[in-house]
Amino acid sequence: MTTQLGHAPQNGLRRRWGYLVDNPVFTKEIRGRMRGSRAFAVLTFYLVVLGAFTGLMYLAVAESSMSVSGQSNVGEIGRTLFVSIVAIEMLLVAFIAPAFTAGAISGEREHQTFDLLRTTLLSPVALVLGKLTSSMLYVLLLLLAAVPLQSIAFFFGGVAETEVILSFVILICTALLFSTIGIYFSARSHRTLSASVLTYVTATFFTFGLPVMIGGILVLFGFSPNNIQSTTTQLALLYILGGVLSTNPAATALLTQYVLLNQQTIGTFTYTLSGGETITLISPWIPFSVIYLTLTAIVFALAVHRVRQIEN
Amino acid sequence: MAEELIIETHGLVKRYGKLVAVNNLSLQVPRGAIYGFVGPNGAGKTTTMRILTTLITPTAGDAYVAGYSVVDYPREVRRAIGYMPDFFGVYDDMKVWEYLDFFAACYEIPERDRPGLINDLLALVDLSHRRDDMVEKLSRGMKQRLSLARTLAHDPEVLILDEPASGLDPRARIEIRELLVEMSRMGKTIFFSSHILADVAEICTHLGIIESGEMVAQGTVADIRRQLMPTREIQITLLGQVEQAKETLLHVEGVTGINDMPDDHGRRRIRVDFTGDDEGVSQLLFALSSRGIPVVNFAEETHDLETVFMRATKGIVS
Repeated sequence: MTTQLGHAPQNGLRRRWGYLVDNPVFTKEIRGRMRGSRAFAVLTFYLVVLGAFTGLMYLAVAESSMSVSGQSNVGEIGRTLFVSIVAIEMLLVAFIAPAFTAGAISGEREHQTFDLLRTTLLSPVALVLGKLTSSMLYVLLLLLAAVPLQSIAFFFGGVAETEVILSFVILICTALLFSTIGIYFSARSHRTLSASVLTYVTATFFTFGLPVMIGGILVLFGFSPNNIQSTTTQLALLYILGGVLSTNPAATALLTQYVLLNQQTIGTFTYTLSGGETITLISPWIPFSVIYLTLTAIVFALAVHRVRQIEN
Repeated sequence: MAEELIIETHGLVKRYGKLVAVNNLSLQVPRGAIYGFVGPNGAGKTTTMRILTTLITPTAGDAYVAGYSVVDYPREVRRAIGYMPDFFGVYDDMKVWEYLDFFAACYEIPERDRPGLINDLLALVDLSHRRDDMVEKLSRGMKQRLSLARTLAHDPEVLILDEPASGLDPRARIEIRELLVEMSRMGKTIFFSSHILADVAEICTHLGIIESGEMVAQGTVADIRRQLMPTREIQITLLGQVEQAKETLLHVEGVTGINDMPDDHGRRRIRVDFTGDDEGVSQLLFALSSRGIPVVNFAEETHDLETVFMRATKGIVS
């Protein structure tokens, strides 16, 4: 009959591990992406923009802090630089990651290669995972490339290593979720263009839309800590507000830094309400990571389900 | 005749709303055959192939490839087939060897086996000298050959090829044909569709003629010829005595008709429709020459597949 090429059919567990470690889609994507000068041109452009922005921020901050006290508050300079870099990285991550993944599945259909993939033994999970990991690797490259710039902030002090690590965690979680959303829309849409639009709209909602909505609601109802009499309402409000803010990367980053500075913790801390009661709150990066990773898993499963269903 | 069927369908139906693309199709492809699936454009060839390759689910009926149901065991079916659609999907920024490496990996071929496999495949389709070139830069003929190499990566039992020679120049078409014959010699079953009958006639052992989603005729090439062209046609060129010839022939058993044909350089020609066997044909010649009728040329017309095809299909396109 047919000649065997010396490969035994793999059992389920080994096969699944292979999706991560020896993923054909991952290899193909990386080979193609890093070919030629394109990948390095993007990296250079990104670093130039980041560097230029950092330079400008430095000049602005150094100028103002000098003029106030006659003596530069270096700690503040360091912190401001750090925050600016993270802010730019956040924007880039929110909008570069989808650019890579919005064409994941729809691109294959547009190039008429999707049917070829479907008749192989490649599973939908392996396909989606390969697309995700290859795009995340490039995002990781961009984030790591910015670390030297971030380290300039260390020269000025005011920034702890913990903040660097936490900012990384927040950025990676953001990139993961938005990349996965990109793949999901790519599986839904026939065209990469519509997938891109949908992904960007979603990313914008998470980064800008939600805070604006919350801010609007707060203003509308005239909330301020003084207006609230009952402890329960105050409690509910704090938790709900905290929860919602934990879905926003920028708010999470800022609040986490605030908590770190004022409460000296990256974990739980106590907070006294106006009635005198103390409650336990948690640094936002923890619920943020949990929410984003859970959403990533859910959207990943939805994307795989969608890919399975495609029948031209 | 219990031949092992490597592809079979029973009452296969595929409906798209009101349109019936495949209508009660029963396909039988024996193992080791080179099966030509022919029909006019829009007859349902591609739809049938896409059902067999697990890309579409049928509306009704069953389809089995290598013993596995396409609906219940798609993974096993995919392991057994190599599919080549009638378009070449191009990846940007990919080398020829990387293309084969990628698909070999998709078929779970271990990394250590791949380099050797890629070399063998490239040698088989004669693309070794282009291994480091970009896939998108290849000529159409080379892309077809590369596509064919890809279908062989996991050593499947059956190759399902949709119009493998479409858009190719004559030389490239011959190259593909030779590759298909080579692969048949390697023990594989070849199931391919075409509307270039010359290609089909050259190499097929079996034929399936489809029109408007239905199978019109199916079987070995000889069977189909016999089925659709039951009478033999014998062309006779005479120097003279045409009326005597006709008179004589009409008395021979098995002659169903005699028609005049255009003259050939002043020599008269007639065509005899005959239902007898080879013995009978030689009797015809004897009957004429024994009466001294001057026969210059006596030959049986073997019908090319085109005529068979034209007779079988009514040219109805859905």
